[in-house]
Amino acid sequence: MILGIETSCDETAAALVTVDGHIRANVVSSQADLHAQYGGVVPEVASRRHLELVGPVVREALGEAGVTLDDVDKVAVTQGPGLVGALLVGLAAAKAIAWSRRLPLAPVDHLRGHVASLYLEPDPVEPPFLCLLASGGHTLLLDVRGYEDEQVLGTTLDDAAGEAFDKGARLLGLGYPGGREVDRLARDGDPAAYDFPVAQVPGLDFSFSGLKTSLLYATRELSADELDARRADLAASYQRAIIRALVGRVREAAAQLGSPRIAVVGGVASNSELRAALPDAALAPLPLCTDNAAMIASAGRFAATLAYPGYLGLDAYASR
Amino acid sequence: MLMLAFDTATEVATSALVDDGEVLAERSSRARTLLEDVDALLRQGGANARDLDALAVGIGPGSFTGVRIGLATARGLALALELPGAGVSTLAALAAGAPGAIPVVDARRREVFALIDGEPSVLAPADLTFEPGTVCVGDGARRYRGLFEAGGAVIPPDDDERHLPRARFHAALAGALGPVDEIEPLYLRVPDAVRSVQ
Ligand SMILES: [Zn+2]
Repeated sequence: MILGIETSCDETAAALVTVDGHIRANVVSSQADLHAQYGGVVPEVASRRHLELVGPVVREALGEAGVTLDDVDKVAVTQGPGLVGALLVGLAAAKAIAWSRRLPLAPVDHLRGHVASLYLEPDPVEPPFLCLLASGGHTLLLDVRGYEDEQVLGTTLDDAAGEAFDKGARLLGLGYPGGREVDRLARDGDPAAYDFPVAQVPGLDFSFSGLKTSLLYATRELSADELDARRADLAASYQRAIIRALVGRVREAAAQLGSPRIAVVGGVASNSELRAALPDAALAPLPLCTDNAAMIASAGRFAATLAYPGYLGLDAYASR
Repeated sequence: MLMLAFDTATEVATSALVDDGEVLAERSSRARTLLEDVDALLRQGGANARDLDALAVGIGPGSFTGVRIGLATARGLALALELPGAGVSTLAALAAGAPGAIPVVDARRREVFALIDGEPSVLAPADLTFEPGTVCVGDGARRYRGLFEAGGAVIPPDDDERHLPRARFHAALAGALGPVDEIEPLYLRVPDAVRSVQ
């Protein structure tokens, strides 16, 4: 059994996953409500909350799985990328648990963790595949060749796709996190009502900041009443532009790689329009789209593992 | 009772293994490598992790990230080894190591943490008042040496041990033991974002 711990952003999470990829417990304590009043994740606020929650979520995961640490063979923890102060809380706790029990520890890359949300039962996907990782922090096109072997084909030059959803939601007067709100509202709107541009950037990269600016201009011209009337159309058109950009790049990359299997992971993978636009793609299970520790434990099955005492001085990293 | 004590609130993290008041081993390094110290302490003291009976952990004030590394480590140890623990103020530990002195911790942003009438407080260095001849210790005293000395304070040399919140004092000051998950950090400052919302 692998104990996974994740604290890279605003979810405090612990999970237990068997060595053959069955989830026994997956506890996520989201801080979204806490950060909503600030309109985004505040690193210091997130780190404080992680410290309050890290013990309880690990205990809850053990309880939910009906096991004790005696049943745990390995600890897997997110080492980066993410908010360093937040990562250090989970890393310190994970190291201490592993050290206490002389367990090996697998430091996990958060992005590989998202990809590893596909490796879990009951429908595991095996590499190779082309993977779109789209979340509040990242937008990456990955040529995944093996469990520990991937090449970055494209990335965002400015905002992440999930960030574009959040910023758009704010302009539309919707709540945080915005992805789900935009998705819901878009169902009542006309996606052709506004012609928001998809940024033309070279290669397989992405850019969403211009789109956000277009939405800003569109909303600025409207009175409060008009905005109320057009909000669903704006949401639908805005969402359509983001999804078009993502799907367009996925199709281009797939053509270049010779029609590989396509997979989508990360928080934006829960977007209904994206899921519908890629009907043949392997999609991360809905509960594993946003940050969680089951995906970290999953990645920990394949990640290079450090035996005691090799991990005692391990540090977190902010970016890859 | 075998107690593991550590404090990671200031730039130099300290740790100690103490058995019924007897200091078996002491170390100092950095917060991020605290567990290397813990490991070495137990080997020096000829003990296993499972021999530990309790934890004493520094709760700050000091570096927010540093304090959290110490407390998260304590939470992990307590969870895995079923240990109780006690939180000890970093200022109290400094004061215990230098009786009669004012403990001053660098709070960055041109402020310091200090005990004012026994209460942990955050203030501008220039607002710290003391009788001439008073000894000030801690990394805040070292950093603002010129200012405090001009006001008549006595600051020990930079390499003086009294500037460190040594973990043996945390072990000595540990009060009633309780659940380590409930030991709270002493931040003394709200995050900027929270302040601007308030
Ligand atoms: Zn993520």
